[in-house]
Amino acid sequence: MIKFDLIKQQTKTEQALFHFQGELHLKGICAVFGDSGAGKTSFIRALAGLDNSFSGFLDFKDKTWLSDTVFIKTAQRKIGMVFQEPRLFPHLDALANLQLAGKKAKNSLYNVKQLAEQLDFTDLLSKKSHQLSGGQKQRIAIARAILTAPDLLIMDEPLSSLDQHSRQLLLPFIKKLSREIPIIYITHSMQEVFYLCQQMVLINQGTVEAIGSPQALFLDPDLSLVKHAHSGLLLNVDSLTWDQQFSLVHGLVDGQAVVLARDKKHNEQSLEIKVESKDVIIATERLASSSLQNCLTVKIDEIKSLSVNSVLLTLSTGRQKLLAKITLKSLNELNLQKNQSVFAYIKALSILGDSL
Amino acid sequence: MLTTLDLSAIFLTLKLAALTTVILLILSPPLAWWLSRSKRFYRPFVEALVALPLVLPPTVLGFYLLLSFSPDSFLGSFWLSLTGGSLAFSFSGLLIASIIYSLPFVVQPLQSAFVNLDKDYLEVAATLGFNSAETFYRVVFPMVLPSFIIAGALGFAHTIGEFGVVLMIGGNIPGETQVLSIALFDHVETLQYEQAHLLSFTLLAFSMTLLMLIYGVLQKRQKRLNHD
Repeated sequence: MIKFDLIKQQTKTEQALFHFQGELHLKGICAVFGDSGAGKTSFIRALAGLDNSFSGFLDFKDKTWLSDTVFIKTAQRKIGMVFQEPRLFPHLDALANLQLAGKKAKNSLYNVKQLAEQLDFTDLLSKKSHQLSGGQKQRIAIARAILTAPDLLIMDEPLSSLDQHSRQLLLPFIKKLSREIPIIYITHSMQEVFYLCQQMVLINQGTVEAIGSPQALFLDPDLSLVKHAHSGLLLNVDSLTWDQQFSLVHGLVDGQAVVLARDKKHNEQSLEIKVESKDVIIATERLASSSLQNCLTVKIDEIKSLSVNSVLLTLSTGRQKLLAKITLKSLNELNLQKNQSVFAYIKALSILGDSL
Repeated sequence: MLTTLDLSAIFLTLKLAALTTVILLILSPPLAWWLSRSKRFYRPFVEALVALPLVLPPTVLGFYLLLSFSPDSFLGSFWLSLTGGSLAFSFSGLLIASIIYSLPFVVQPLQSAFVNLDKDYLEVAATLGFNSAETFYRVVFPMVLPSFIIAGALGFAHTIGEFGVVLMIGGNIPGETQVLSIALFDHVETLQYEQAHLLSFTLLAFSMTLLMLIYGVLQKRQKRLNHD
């Protein structure tokens, strides 16, 4: 558990620039999500002790890192940090950079060789920073942070500027790593949040707006996240079977059948699909003949106005929810009401993990 | 050919320059670090004090040093009671003067290297668990190594070329305070032009080589480390 109440004031006006308050479970990956300039990086810099102008308190497990009388320096906090830029030391080659990280660490989970294999940089160990690409540097920077044997790993948009190869390598690796080391992970990408994180801190205008599971926060119409709602929600699909003839996967969403196009057979039991709210079509009767494959019977949980001419419907399949963005005109013509049962046709969907 | 006196002047000069450089390379890094980071209101005062020898006529500096070396002054009498000798017209006095006179030549390259050192790397060092001392010798020092060599070389070369201050406080005692530039002056005064040529050219060639090394190799290397 990490508990914090961190305040940074403007020196002259004593107006609070930032005020972060809350507590996080140190388990798995916690996303830090918010708009550019909302204060995400300031938040993690305060956690890491890199910005010492915060007052208030910060407790990490049973240790106090910050209080009125205590300030534990970054070097003593045992935090592994992956910055937005790799920040490899330019005077050293990759191997020496990694060895430097191990100088103060005891019992690192991995050694250099293991990390080099898993993150695919064995051939790059003798190269200096200026000879490496951005993605290569970032993989080495992540390895360096792990080699410090940290109690907490903080990553500031580590994948935002990376090539596809590095992303595909790093995402599953980070997910696996989070079983051993708790991770706080800044990201702009909703895909990354849903793929990686069980917990999310929403930062808005220099404060913690909410803490909770990503699904719950994205569904909450009262949060500033509602503007992201058009990019839709995730549905869990289980009881998968493979259809060789059409190259399809059959599965169930809360007991209702769906079919997903997939290029080749995978051996998983369940997967997550992302449905964007603009790709959901609402019908009050079943469509007689159409090319739409997926139709779910849903109940309208909530109707919220988005703009002068559009509304957002929260639809429930039972345990799971999805969002549909429709025009105000459609809402009135179909005479949709709260708690009404309707058919939701899904025009397009993507399988999470495939498109990351 | 070089006379024994010339050789002894060369040896004395090299000894003075080497000692001055070593002492300055120990004193300057903390001072340069403080000057590059401090936000205290009196930082410009200290900075100006360090830079004074760059603009002051050496004779002015020499004059004040001569006064403070006299047995009547605090420093002079303290030295006398400590060692039983006078600071003025001695090698020790020359060494102290050289340290003051060459200080800006060593501090300034270091200071600019520390200013240009990206703070990001210091943050990384902190997340690797390094304390200040470890950060300095594992990260800062290797990253500004070319500037350390530049600073040392400039301090060394400048001490070798020093004339005015030495004349004021050291005089012309062979083996004790008669350095290269003074010996050269002697030769010119006594119209020994051949000897003067020899010494002058040696000094010229040495200084030129050193400066080319600094500007051609070391500065480029430091830039590469900074802008990677």
